[in-house]
Amino acid sequence: MRLSNVSKAFGQVKALVDVSLDLRAGEVVGLLGDNGAGKSTLIKILSGNYHADEGSFEYQGRPVTINRPADAQALGIATVYQDLALVETRSVAHNIYLGREPRRFGYFMDRRKMERDANVMLEELNIRLASQKTDVELLSGGQRQAVALSRAIAMGGNILLLDEPTAALGVEQTQQVHHLITGMRRQDKAVVVITHDLSDILDITDRIAVLRQGKLWAYAPSSETTTNQIIGWITGVAPPHVRNGAVEMNNGSDQ
Amino acid sequence: MISALKRQDNWTLIGLFITLLMLIALFSWQSEFFFTTRNFINIGQAISIRGLIAIGLTVVMIAGGLDLSMAAVAAVAGMVTASLITLEVNSVLVGVLGIAAAGVLGSFNALLIVKFRINPIIATLGTLLFYRGLAFVSTGGDNIVIGVNAWSELGRGSWLGAPITVWLFLAVVVLGMCFMRFTVAGNHLYAIGGNSEACRNVGIRVDRLRGWTYVAQACLAGLAGLMLTSQSGTALPSALNGAELDIIAAVLLGGIALSGGRGGLLGTLLGLLIIGVVQNGLILLQVQIYWQSVVRGAILIIAVTLDSLRRGGGYR
Repeated sequence: MRLSNVSKAFGQVKALVDVSLDLRAGEVVGLLGDNGAGKSTLIKILSGNYHADEGSFEYQGRPVTINRPADAQALGIATVYQDLALVETRSVAHNIYLGREPRRFGYFMDRRKMERDANVMLEELNIRLASQKTDVELLSGGQRQAVALSRAIAMGGNILLLDEPTAALGVEQTQQVHHLITGMRRQDKAVVVITHDLSDILDITDRIAVLRQGKLWAYAPSSETTTNQIIGWITGVAPPHVRNGAVEMNNGSDQ
Repeated sequence: MISALKRQDNWTLIGLFITLLMLIALFSWQSEFFFTTRNFINIGQAISIRGLIAIGLTVVMIAGGLDLSMAAVAAVAGMVTASLITLEVNSVLVGVLGIAAAGVLGSFNALLIVKFRINPIIATLGTLLFYRGLAFVSTGGDNIVIGVNAWSELGRGSWLGAPITVWLFLAVVVLGMCFMRFTVAGNHLYAIGGNSEACRNVGIRVDRLRGWTYVAQACLAGLAGLMLTSQSGTALPSALNGAELDIIAAVLLGGIALSGGRGGLLGTLLGLLIIGVVQNGLILLQVQIYWQSVVRGAILIIAVTLDSLRRGGGYR
């Protein structure tokens, strides 16, 4: 998936200015930036909740449009929002297949198949739960995040957008989610992780994209980046730094 | 029954069942007339008409809604059917039109709540007054006496020793349980009550399903109105006036959360039985009518407190 020169303004406020990014299969991109940098706006444009004022999108080499959530879903873009959008009073299996429940005779829910399929999916993702029949309200924060990720994958998502997936989690649960994210990479998914947490971001990502005041301020391989550099880019102390992937698409001064 | 036990908060159901048994033991000990087949049939008959409305309300509340106008809808349906009977309209058509009239009133509730986004409590409080007023205005406050007619068997007949109203009520309970447990739509209603935004995100038609619950609720209230009219041979514009609170109390007592997404029809059935047994027992013990009101109020308070505990307390 390639985004080229995407811009979005809300009245006089420029939320995104000429942002270009490549999202590749089997790669995890960490999307960082201060509050108001444009991270959420970019995610909402990719998920079809906002319409970009300018710019274009390419998916597997062909131009595409994303005007509404259904367009994004059709392209295999699945978003896991910060609030996870789970139904706490329903089981893990039902949450994973919510809205796409296996049916019998058109109107009846095939609960056995749903639970069997959910079990297979959770095993593939190496997610351990007491039972897929457990109501989500009884799960820990990390387990809920895992269920939300499972649902995104069950929806057939090839591009996963994760908004602050570890924001409300403890150390162990955060590790669990990081493990899941690296698992997504192995499954050849393109993953974008929005986060404020810099502690492990270099370990779980392949590339880092830093937004500042709506512009792509830095875009570099994680292996060639340090935490101090990221802080410098986020705060604007360090100069813009765009390499590998977005160079040719971003505005000339950033090169 | 077993699947319903799995779905519901088991402890709520077990607690309700034990409470019911204790009440039966208490009233049996206090009154020699309580533990008789005749009296249990009386209790069944007393709860079956309100029970039909409670079944509809349960489904509405599971989907996160509320309907206060249901008893007024039943009264209007009773007036419509009685008017049609006096006009000697075909008896099948009478039943269909009576329930359809109730369905139209339910559609209006759905329109206010789903389309105009009015809070269900406010919307149905308004329609409660509006529909009850319509029932009185239609005859200038007079009752419509219909006497014995083609529908009398529905309210007065019996089968295998039990009133047809009781059999009909039990049939609706079983059908409702199957619908909520086994169908995709029933499971979606639970999910909508749990988190409607999450359901919208995955493409479930939240507004359409919620709207249908109000229509179905009104149709059941219409059937209750038809049963009540055929039972008494008279349509009263004041029929079931004030029954709303007893019905809501029974539903809440049965484990349905005001916030939606929890509970089931088995719980509502137990809630109805508890309230029915208490009311019957107090009458047999010749407790002063004012004390009966105190007890009904206490049951409503207990039901709401239990709901609060379920949402934020130890039940989680």
